Amino acid sequence: MIEPKRVLRALAEHWALLEPLCEHFDQGTLSLGELRQQLAARQLDSTPQDITSLLDVWIRLDILVPVAKSPNRFELNAQIHDFLAYLRREHRLGLCLEIEAYLRHLERLAGHIQDAFDIRDGNDLARQLRLLDMRVRDVLKKLDNDEQALVAVAERAKTSDRQIPLRQRYAEVLATWDEYVEPMIQLVNADGAFEQGVRKVENVLLRLLGEQQRLGHLVDDDMLLRTHARILEMQTSAQLTLRHARELLLPLREEARRHNAVTRGAALALSVIRRKGLDALPQAAMPMFTRPQSTFLGSASQVEAYVYALARFEPKPAQFPKSHKTSKGETPRAPRTVKEMLERCESALPMPDLMVWLLEQEPNGATDELLYWFSRLSREKRFSRERLERRDYHTREHQVSLRSFALISSRDEPLDPSASTPHAS
Amino acid sequence: MHLDLSELSQLAPIFRELFKGFHISRRDPELYAQLSNFQDQYRGLFKALGFELVCDTRGFYYFVPELAAAQVNKTAQRLSLFTFILVEHLADQGRDPMAVLDGGSLGRDELPSLLEKYRDLFIQAEVQTQDELEEKIMRRMTQLGFASEENGIYRFLPPMHRFLDVCLSVQQDRDLAASLHSALPLPTPELVDDDSDEQLLKTDDPLDLSPFEETEEQALARAIAEEQQEIDA
Repeated sequence: MIEPKRVLRALAEHWALLEPLCEHFDQGTLSLGELRQQLAARQLDSTPQDITSLLDVWIRLDILVPVAKSPNRFELNAQIHDFLAYLRREHRLGLCLEIEAYLRHLERLAGHIQDAFDIRDGNDLARQLRLLDMRVRDVLKKLDNDEQALVAVAERAKTSDRQIPLRQRYAEVLATWDEYVEPMIQLVNADGAFEQGVRKVENVLLRLLGEQQRLGHLVDDDMLLRTHARILEMQTSAQLTLRHARELLLPLREEARRHNAVTRGAALALSVIRRKGLDALPQAAMPMFTRPQSTFLGSASQVEAYVYALARFEPKPAQFPKSHKTSKGETPRAPRTVKEMLERCESALPMPDLMVWLLEQEPNGATDELLYWFSRLSREKRFSRERLERRDYHTREHQVSLRSFALISSRDEPLDPSASTPHAS
Repeated sequence: MHLDLSELSQLAPIFRELFKGFHISRRDPELYAQLSNFQDQYRGLFKALGFELVCDTRGFYYFVPELAAAQVNKTAQRLSLFTFILVEHLADQGRDPMAVLDGGSLGRDELPSLLEKYRDLFIQAEVQTQDELEEKIMRRMTQLGFASEENGIYRFLPPMHRFLDVCLSVQQDRDLAASLHSALPLPTPELVDDDSDEQLLKTDDPLDLSPFEETEEQALARAIAEEQQEIDA
């Protein structure tokens, strides 16, 4: 028999060494060599003999126990490990099955309580009630532990390296959901084992209270009421733990599921494209957006004016000239047609400088119109062209700098077949 | 609904960006704040103008084209393909695709190996060189507000969720999964060919200056065809 005080004293005295070791023991067992190495790193001034004696103390106090069938490897005594985990607020998630087993046990205890009351065995009744109470406390303790463990699971997932695949990062979340949360949802369901068990125990306790009134007291009413209150506390606590678990893990689980779906979707799309081409993707799935209007040349004020005008649009009747009325004043000149201009241009061949010719023809022409004709006529396939040096030309309103063309008929020898683009600016 | 235009102080830049197909997210704090503060007003105004503003709760805004005009275009296909590839590539490397595509980043130096590994797939999207990958995909992504680029690092923005949603819907598409194991051809969606002249010219939009985007050859071919008609007439 190891004296508890000595164990506690050793734990307190060596806490600085034990606490970091706990993390290693959480992951698995340690060999004697590894243990010595860990301790030596923490106690730089200690000799190998010091470390040996320290390990000796721990082994004698049953704090360290050899792993079954591997006498050179050690682990923390499970009880001590649990106690240290509690002190370090490190919680390991239990199994939903454990809670279910506890509940089955509670139901059995309720049966024993009923039996003890039926045979009017006061001592047994008190003992069974105490057992029931302790079991309920076990469940409460477990629920609290599980809740802390769930928080840790979510925290680990959120804080782990963003560069590792989400599937790995959230593996623990997904496993926790499948192994703990999902069965817990079933368990705490209205018709689940938890509710049924609680109701059964509650019924027994309430009937007992009534019967005690009628047949006389075997145990103190307070004891029954206290147990009843604890049962209800357990029920609320289970529901809260479950709700908390869902709130913590559901978003992470959804994120992981979405991630998996995106990766699968991309792989599926690529295999379809490989087999059947890019057009095989369903049109409905594709995002639609306006074609990038790189052609859009409107200035900010133009756009504003456009939107403003549209917003304020009011229809106005169009005024067409009446056929029987003769217009007063000068008749506006009809716009030149391409055919007309081409004929005039052709008859003026050979032309030493197209732009000069245009300015002569249309001395009052607007600059943009002249440039249009320049572009149009210089590209006409009936003419061959030769690029000239850059120079300035004066239209009525502007000075333009461009490299004009000399034109001859393309039926004659082409002047410069390589000059395919006008370079005007 | 009463609209006070003076409240909508960022109307012009917001409209310009959305109209370009850009997705506005927190990356553009001023525009994003305006949109979130006057979400209903903007949505109402744009709706009256025939534009549907989508306010995604994941933190981004964009215009959805009208259904009649909406066809899946090459850009959407390319960007979706790139997303699929990136998800698989990251997963293969043991990295978390969600962490990268939802606010994470990718270095430009990772693109060559990606292109090499998925060359067969990129070819389908007419992407064969690193330049093409940057031009046709990465630049488009930044132009549309799916990513931002700084010092050779691409940072993915919340609108990427639109492509992650594609992965999810593909994953849920049982027909697609089944078709993998069948010989029957899949229905081919009708696509807008980005480069087609007709599509570029077909517009009632007074601000659409798309004819200027024609290549010289296209412009010439069109002009000649018009002239021919005019001369023949």
